[in-house]
Amino acid sequence: MRFQRFPTAPARLVLAWRAAALFAAALITGVLLALSGRDVFELLALVLKSTVGSRFGLEDLALFMIPLILTGSAVTVTSRIGLWNIGGEGQFYLGAIGAAGVGLYMPGPPILVLPAMAAAAMLCGVAWIAVPTFARAYAGVNEIITTLLLNFVAGLLTYWLATGPWRDRVTGALASTGRIPVAIPEIWGVVHWGFPVALLIACGLAVIMTRTSWGYEVRISGANPGAARYAGMPMRARVIAVMLLSGALAALAGMFEVAGTVHRLQGGMADNFGYLGIVVAVLARKSCLAVIPAALLMALILDAGIVLQTQQLAATVVLAITGLVLLLIAIGDELAHYRPVAPVVRPASPRLPPASKTTI
Amino acid sequence: MIALLTGLLSTAVLAGGVLSLAALGEVLAERVGVTDLGVEGLMSLGAATAIMTVIAVPDPWLGLLAAIAVGAVGGGVFAFAAVIMRANQVLCGLAITFLGLGLSATIGHSVAGMPAPVTFAPTRIPGLASLPVIGPAFFAQNLLVVPIYLLLPAFFHWLLFHTRHGLNMRAVGENPAAADAAGIPVVAIRFWYVVLGAALAGGAGAYLSLAVIPSWSEGMVSGRGWIAVALVIFAGYRPFNAAGAGLLFGLITAIGFLGQARGWPIAAPVLNMLPYLGTLAFIILPVLFWKRMRQVMAAPAALGTPYYRSVR
Repeated sequence: MRFQRFPTAPARLVLAWRAAALFAAALITGVLLALSGRDVFELLALVLKSTVGSRFGLEDLALFMIPLILTGSAVTVTSRIGLWNIGGEGQFYLGAIGAAGVGLYMPGPPILVLPAMAAAAMLCGVAWIAVPTFARAYAGVNEIITTLLLNFVAGLLTYWLATGPWRDRVTGALASTGRIPVAIPEIWGVVHWGFPVALLIACGLAVIMTRTSWGYEVRISGANPGAARYAGMPMRARVIAVMLLSGALAALAGMFEVAGTVHRLQGGMADNFGYLGIVVAVLARKSCLAVIPAALLMALILDAGIVLQTQQLAATVVLAITGLVLLLIAIGDELAHYRPVAPVVRPASPRLPPASKTTI
Repeated sequence: MIALLTGLLSTAVLAGGVLSLAALGEVLAERVGVTDLGVEGLMSLGAATAIMTVIAVPDPWLGLLAAIAVGAVGGGVFAFAAVIMRANQVLCGLAITFLGLGLSATIGHSVAGMPAPVTFAPTRIPGLASLPVIGPAFFAQNLLVVPIYLLLPAFFHWLLFHTRHGLNMRAVGENPAAADAAGIPVVAIRFWYVVLGAALAGGAGAYLSLAVIPSWSEGMVSGRGWIAVALVIFAGYRPFNAAGAGLLFGLITAIGFLGQARGWPIAAPVLNMLPYLGTLAFIILPVLFWKRMRQVMAAPAALGTPYYRSVR
């Protein structure tokens, strides 16, 4: 039996390796929890009961999925053109800022204010990713680092706005803005209309990416830049468009969080959703549609984290578990490229007489 | 004026040491062709480990040693995935960052906010410390400053550019196939230099939590690891430049501190943005205005690509 690396990985193998990776991650987590003196099976039962086993758990799952679908889509669209937008966290904050600014200071009926909030959020997100975008498109500056650095700036900006100029005088102790008067209407418990909208956006992106010539050009530019250039595709324009779209998507997640869940702007509200979007995109393997189940899986992990938190475990355990999952999946994805091939059978060659030793 | 300058430079040297040390480690990893984006997580792990070690045994050197060891182990996990298994380097790096940040916050939960019982105290180096401005800034600080800014960069510069081994390292980063054909052990060189680089990142964490901010709190690394990764690009993958770039960003941080201390009419969060915005400007602007720099300071050609012997 010999294993050979193939350039492509069949979906069947990828899924199998990923299942193994997830299982391994669960096993490692379980062993570590058991070593720290906790009853793993009791914890597991508790996690299942309070996530998929109860109505509140399901509502929480759906609420978590809304930002995850959008930040996951944001990373997925850039991955289609071979780039990484690691700045989802910052664009999320900017979306929240834009939405909160409009929501706090624009009077009017919700039917007008909500779309204005979404538009302002997306504009802010686009503005936030503009510098990394143009630096990438015109100077070839690594977008991973530029988008990421801006996350810290955005976090500080949000903190400054929420504790400084926009601070609510009434609930000053909380150091957040006042409650935004308009909210996205709820459809099921605490789940608001952001949920179906996020699902629709993911489906829409899937159609654009797989069924339009624009999406085709984006995919080719990512898969084979040489071929795309040779075919005369406007690669630079596509890079710019895709990155700006990505910023807008992540910012929309921030708007939904402000207008649907948190109802105010406060420091730290992005809660790693931008970073977890990277994990969602990796799980979805560049497919805009697969972002939805990937977001569901990530939401399950987050929800499980809340349960662990009630059991005297730090909330940050979730981040560590996510890192573990990501690492094992990265390894699994590489292993999926290997397939067994028949051992090389050398034809019985006629034995040549040993060549006489020649000396030079 | 001199006093102000001395104070500013001292703060810059102290604060920049974290970036310099981590950037130095990243230079090693990137020179052999591996982008290690796990620096942030490794640094955080190092910082938490150092504090927990000195709380158990009050010796800063032991804390540093423990942090270096933990950094090396984390780097070993990364290098196993990214170099030996040849998984996607960006993903593995992000995974190590998540893992490191999450793990350090989890294990450090019990000591959060506790001040470090021992720190790297300032020590005057006889003779050199009495030099004007430079003396107090470099030679009257803690004992890690001279190694970070002078000894380690000098050693790695010598190693990279004046030894055969360094030539082999650079060959592995530029053209692993050719290096392999010449009999250089590509995978081994990549693996061990990534581990060494990660160990330095862990050490940078210890420096942060034992010399710069002598305590542990969740999120205290706050992007320093990412800035270090960015500085490597700015430094053109050279050890002395990396140390100098760290100092430059220490200076930006110091100016922010000065602004807060003097009560400039700028909000503290806005001043805190300076290092990030500065980094962004410094990696974008040179490429725009100094075209030749792209060639002189170019990245190793095989940076970020895993090496397969059978695939060309």
